[in-house]
Amino acid sequence: MKTGIQSWLDERFGLSNITKFLKEKTVPQHKHSIWYYTGSAILLFFTIQVITGFMLVFYYKPTLEGANESVARIMTEIPLGWIIRSVHSWSASFMIAFVFIHLLSTWLTKSYRNPRELTWMSGVFLLAVSLAFGFTGYLLPWDDLSLSATKVGTDIPRSIPLVGAWVTKLLRGGEDVTGDTLTRFFGFHVSILPVFIFILLAVHIYLIQKQGMSLPLALESKKEEVKEIPFWPNFVYRETIVWLLLLGALFSLAIFFPPSLDKAAELMAPAPEGIKPEWYFLFLFQTLKIFPAKIFFLTGDTFAVLLMLLVGILFFFLPLIDNKPAERKGRIITIIALVLIVYAVVMTIWSLL
Amino acid sequence: MKLKHSLFTRRQFLNGLLGGWLGALLASFLYPVIKFVFPPTREPDQVILPFADFRDMGPNSVKNFLWGTKPGILKKNDDGSYLAFVGVCTHLDCNVSYLEDQKKFFCACHDGWYDENGLNIGGPPPRPLRRLVVFIEGEDLIIKREGGERE
Amino acid sequence: MKLRKKKFLGMFLLVIFFVSFLILQLNFAQQVTQEEQEEKVQVKADQDKIIPSPQNIKESTGIYVFVAWMWIAILVLIYILSLKIREVDRLLKLRFLSTEKK
Repeated sequence: MKTGIQSWLDERFGLSNITKFLKEKTVPQHKHSIWYYTGSAILLFFTIQVITGFMLVFYYKPTLEGANESVARIMTEIPLGWIIRSVHSWSASFMIAFVFIHLLSTWLTKSYRNPRELTWMSGVFLLAVSLAFGFTGYLLPWDDLSLSATKVGTDIPRSIPLVGAWVTKLLRGGEDVTGDTLTRFFGFHVSILPVFIFILLAVHIYLIQKQGMSLPLALESKKEEVKEIPFWPNFVYRETIVWLLLLGALFSLAIFFPPSLDKAAELMAPAPEGIKPEWYFLFLFQTLKIFPAKIFFLTGDTFAVLLMLLVGILFFFLPLIDNKPAERKGRIITIIALVLIVYAVVMTIWSLL
Repeated sequence: MKLKHSLFTRRQFLNGLLGGWLGALLASFLYPVIKFVFPPTREPDQVILPFADFRDMGPNSVKNFLWGTKPGILKKNDDGSYLAFVGVCTHLDCNVSYLEDQKKFFCACHDGWYDENGLNIGGPPPRPLRRLVVFIEGEDLIIKREGGERE
Repeated sequence: MKLRKKKFLGMFLLVIFFVSFLILQLNFAQQVTQEEQEEKVQVKADQDKIIPSPQNIKESTGIYVFVAWMWIAILVLIYILSLKIREVDRLLKLRFLSTEKK
């Protein structure tokens, strides 16, 4: 009966090509192949975000008056609501952590080499969208800390010359952070960003399947000698073990360390002490702090933001810049990469002290 | 009882265990999801209201009160006694109204009619209006579920 | 003999997880009926932070049971998966060897 239904569907969809492809797909086995698990780990956490997000959206009210109260209701009244919210919050951190790990592994192994430049570029956009998810989601409980973090965060683009003020207005829905900002961020978080991430994921995943798994630079010359295991079932079984361990860690942390909820934010109140953004923005936060108020004719902020934008653009075009990865230029770029990574880590730790 | 052949191969056994445990784990994750998505109904067991609000009701009149998230109807009969109903039509859940001149409850959605005691007399409603029990204790008007009736 | 042992072990594990699953269900179901208690606590917590925590001893034991059960299930699954990986890798090696013999 199974083959009957399968062939009926296949006559109409023609998807047997896909199943045949998946059956023949192979994954290389070498001393760096542990990094191959990072991409699907991101997908795992993203799926959990979508599911818990669907559930939270049943009860969350994206208005000035209702936001904080509805989150409180989810945490106290709705059965096991606090677990769902906690999983959503922790899975967000896990997802972004793995996005960073995935980024580091592809960056340092130079997987973006020809022909995988577009995979990298769609990946950079995916990074931006993931961070945007985190930023917009952080505001939704509408407590003092998240309101202040949003005020600061949406003020930063203002320093960009020419378009800055418009970007800030677009994000805030006006000059200031108001109830409109909350609703707008909600729209971004549940509607606009999901559309973008699905399109980007489709492109990213299609490219990976079409081009196969990349090999580290050192092994490229010995391509024929590298052992490959079939994706199904060998790699999938191993991947399932990784997913089970990650799920266990996620649920244990979510159940024993659930996030709390402060009372509702007051728009006119002074900023509370100890404002800081989520951990994945800390290095940017600290960078802004260390810049002096004025550099040449620019404000410190403008200089810092422009610098960040420049680094971002170079980052995006990295595959085209690092076009001779095996030679001296490539090695210098790797050293610069390591310097930037150390910088980000140091800045993050500094901001916590 | 010794079997001539195995019931299943070692591979089938292992696959079965894998599927079974995986299914059990996912089912246990599904449990909180279901409890979350279907929260329990919130009907109160009783409602206590200040009688002062209802003292000056004329005969053959109704006043609304809150029964959880549903409208409740308190009716003072001609003889001075009280009846209480859940003011929700038994057909498709629209809120009913009381027409004093006709002494009937009317549901505007599909032309449903109930008499002054809540009995369904015309139109699609399949059952009478749900009754609630009324007690007056001193200054309090207490309205309770009927009998041990539970939703 | 070894196969029979495996079968018994399998059946035993199945029974254990069914029983524990039932206990879990009961525990969580009881947690729901504690809702009235929760609401009183919520009013008090309205003033400052709301820190989610199990409201009563039944709920907190339910949580510990669930986490313990989850980890047991995960470890059992990892064990079964490692057996399957061994099997599937062995098949792969055989296939390689058989094509090399040509």
